[in-house]
Amino acid sequence: MAEVRIDAQTRSEFGKGAARRTRRTGRVPAVLYGHGTATRHISLPDHDLMMALKTPNALLRIDGLPGGNQLAIPKAVQRDAIKGVIEHVDLILVRQGEKVIVEVPIQTTGEIFSGGLLDQQLIQITLAAEATQIPQSVSVDIEGMRVGGSVHAGDLILPAGTALAVDPDVLILHVLAAPTAEQIEADLGGAPEAAEAAAAPAAVETPSAAESG
Amino acid sequence: MLIPRRIAHRKQHRPDRSGAAKGGTRVVFGEYGIQALEHAYVTNRQIEAARIAMTRHIRRGGKVWITIYPDRPLTKKPAETRMGSGKGSPEWWVANVKPGRVMFELSGVAEPVAREALRRAMHKLPMKCRFVKREVGEA
Repeated sequence: MAEVRIDAQTRSEFGKGAARRTRRTGRVPAVLYGHGTATRHISLPDHDLMMALKTPNALLRIDGLPGGNQLAIPKAVQRDAIKGVIEHVDLILVRQGEKVIVEVPIQTTGEIFSGGLLDQQLIQITLAAEATQIPQSVSVDIEGMRVGGSVHAGDLILPAGTALAVDPDVLILHVLAAPTAEQIEADLGGAPEAAEAAAAPAAVETPSAAESG
Repeated sequence: MLIPRRIAHRKQHRPDRSGAAKGGTRVVFGEYGIQALEHAYVTNRQIEAARIAMTRHIRRGGKVWITIYPDRPLTKKPAETRMGSGKGSPEWWVANVKPGRVMFELSGVAEPVAREALRRAMHKLPMKCRFVKREVGEA
């Protein structure tokens, strides 16, 4: 994976007021820690960071730190739920050749057999990989998979240099039988009567609550 | 229709309508979802109507998750009643939804079908909403 160079500035003031001032200047507050070192409070340019984090587990080369640049990967990213802007990032220090535990996206290829419904239980898988060679995704071929078919973590074909960091029996995806036309009709048709019946609240108070209240 | 089976108190204060959703702001079960952009009390009837609207559109091949639950009773006094003499009777069950909350999720269908199904569902809901997709690969 290619490194992304990003310029950091050390932060000297903390708290929500200071964090908001930092964001208003077009920078994102971040912390950098790992390898038993003291946590460093930094800020990163928001647009560069946003572009870098479009790649899963992006490897960042943090410039502008006292003592030279450092390699890091994102550990946790906080975003605004509505606007989607990055509010804060936790970065963890890594070294060349070091094994790290990361979440890698699972991508499916192909189409399942018609009449089935794909139920993907996991969208990311935890792998142990070399920090500088983290795969962007793990692909699973589901072409022609029939009802009852399943893929477990142990069935995944992992990229070279990576190992599973979860139980191999963990279910990744399986194919269920799609609901029949009758089941859908029953599901939709039964609704109006149920709506009438439940128009008024019908829940009952628990006896203990009724006595105390 | 979703309705609590047992509750501690039959009549409650009106739920707080300030702030943004603290959790449940991402699509986690399915591939696509509906995210609230405003505060609202969503009744169990509205939830059921939205579910039916999307199920009717996707027909076979999709799976729907409802990630909110109408666990708060709202009361109402009868019309032309003088003030006082106690709190009104429970009238609705609502979910207190705050901006950012993902309320419905959908998977197993192509994106254009999902967009249309969720658009139809949004028309049944009492607030501004948007279509969201699952994000992968972010810590």
